[in-house]
Amino acid sequence: MKNRVREERSLRELSQADLAAGLGVSRQTVIAIESGRYSPSLPLAFRIARFFAVPVDMMFDPEEEEAT
Amino acid sequence: MKRSRNARLRAPLVVLGAGTVVSGAVAIGHTWADAGIAEVVAVVVSGALFLLTTSHSDIGDIYADREDERQHLVALRGRSVACVVMIVTAFACAVYAVAANKNYWQADVIGSLGGLSYFLTLLFDGARPAEAAPNGAGMMASSGPGHHPGDLGDPAQP
Repeated sequence: MKNRVREERSLRELSQADLAAGLGVSRQTVIAIESGRYSPSLPLAFRIARFFAVPVDMMFDPEEEEAT
Repeated sequence: MKRSRNARLRAPLVVLGAGTVVSGAVAIGHTWADAGIAEVVAVVVSGALFLLTTSHSDIGDIYADREDERQHLVALRGRSVACVVMIVTAFACAVYAVAANKNYWQADVIGSLGGLSYFLTLLFDGARPAEAAPNGAGMMASSGPGHHPGDLGDPAQP
């Protein structure tokens, strides 16, 4: 699933460790989400969206994967 | 991720306890010297496991009982792989027992292969360097001293 986590994090000049600490997950998980290797659970997806104050459907785009 | 010293001690203490039980069995069935060697091995493995729990990697977080949802899936996959490996090994042992026409149950082989496959799955399944952080922040870019195989990315990356 395509997502905007990396873009939003870069906009706010946060490190992966900062984001991981804010979300309560490991940095490896942030990396996996950003690279699209891991699709987060619904609770984590909502936490990410809330963290960046962005609607969850703007943060994650499932159509990218469905189209392929 | 909440950290607890008790949680970090759990896995090493379990290994140390299991090793001590094996050491006791060795003392009964063999010699005290052999039992001493078995106990030293248990202490060393337990110490190594404790050091592993201090690392910020998938395997370190899992053994320290502070895994997040993705690492929990990695741990489940590791158990699944270990289970399959043990079943296949047990089948091979059963076939050997029939072919050799004698009672043969290699518990040490089955257990060792199961444990090893679990460990290796945790070590490599959570960390795929080729797929990590495509902007160069992956393991390939951060494989210097102090980095663990599961410790991907660059902490200073904005």
